[in-house]
Amino acid sequence: MPLLRTIWGCDFRALPVFCVLCLSFPAWGGDQTASLQNRLAKQELLLAKTPSLYFIVYLKSKMIVLKSRGMILQEWKAQSIRAWGDAPPLGALTLEKKSTLFPPKRTKIMPAADEEEAATFELDALELKDMPSRFTLFLSGGIRLHVRPKARGLFPRLGNIGHLLGWNLWVPLKNLSFRLRKKHFAAFDISLEKKEDGQAVYWALPEGIKGLVFPL
Amino acid sequence: MNKKKTARALVLLLAAVLVAVEAVAIIVAWPKQAAEAAAGAETNDQKAAARLDAETAALRKRIGALAPKAAHIIIDSARNTLTLKTGKEVRLQAVVSCGSGSILEEPGGKRTWIFDTPRGEFQVKSKVVDPTWVKPDWAFIEEGKEIPKKREERLEAGVLGDYALGFGDGYFIHGTLYSRLLGRSVTHGCVRVGDKDLKAIFQAASIGTRIYIY
Repeated sequence: MPLLRTIWGCDFRALPVFCVLCLSFPAWGGDQTASLQNRLAKQELLLAKTPSLYFIVYLKSKMIVLKSRGMILQEWKAQSIRAWGDAPPLGALTLEKKSTLFPPKRTKIMPAADEEEAATFELDALELKDMPSRFTLFLSGGIRLHVRPKARGLFPRLGNIGHLLGWNLWVPLKNLSFRLRKKHFAAFDISLEKKEDGQAVYWALPEGIKGLVFPL
Repeated sequence: MNKKKTARALVLLLAAVLVAVEAVAIIVAWPKQAAEAAAGAETNDQKAAARLDAETAALRKRIGALAPKAAHIIIDSARNTLTLKTGKEVRLQAVVSCGSGSILEEPGGKRTWIFDTPRGEFQVKSKVVDPTWVKPDWAFIEEGKEIPKKREERLEAGVLGDYALGFGDGYFIHGTLYSRLLGRSVTHGCVRVGDKDLKAIFQAASIGTRIYIY
């Protein structure tokens, strides 16, 4: 500390605080909101012109929105969104893969052996309640969205401890390995209010859907 | 004694290396601001900022113009609901049944069907009163019957309700005999609607009416 205080006769006691602030506020140095909004509008217009559904993740507003033709079909409010790694590219990304520990399984219909069997009806549907609420969405450009519900109860909280360790220790190491291989990497931890919201996000975003992840 | 000391020192050294690597990893992984946005930020110049805002507003207007103004149908396949809207006004909300997501394999494994309701933007392509179902191959396979060669043997009247709205590739919004199953995902991909709601939807929709399914 004495060394910091005396360089060029200046008082540098606030330097560590300044460094922390610089690191904590990536937008340090000017308001880029207008520029980002402009960029978002340009990119959204490209997606809205197609007949496909698309999604937008608003990082600062903590929202995930499913849209078509500029019209909001559904939106989910996140409780918190945390990030590691590079900034996401400000362009359309493709959902390449959905990964979860227990993926929902489709029921296989067995052709009926006779008419009597054909007349009996069994309800074997893949429904919203069968969807996972904890999963990872792998987007193009090395972007990962880890989605999970807010932990309620003892076991989910214990599970969250594991997630926190993974998020704070393992993900930075993964980022480092990507960096060393000169690959783009960004991870976002999205905590949703309800378990049902996570299930609905899993349902609503099929593999191949395009979307935007914006720091707005 | 010396061995113990060396082992302890090694463990400590390893721990220190791990902590150092982790610290480096955390510093490297610290979230970064989009460089492209930073490069485009000219908001200090008031004129440029105003120009940027005006351009954004114009873009937003163009996006808004893409949304349907006329009657359109929105189907939430997860919650099995259908909403009929004109512009932003909700005209009707109905409980429906969408695809079960089940898989059917033809014996011998030649063909496979996945009974999902398709997602995206569609248009009403046909409107039929008192529709007759032309049973596709999978309906016979599911029932364990032989696939008929004549078209007439595929026709089944009365199972699709009073009206049907076709939206392409054999998918329809139609009525149902199983109204107790409305709200559940039980269909082969079509959207089943209760009689009363179906009539209202049929009357409001015309050829070209847009359908959004998610």
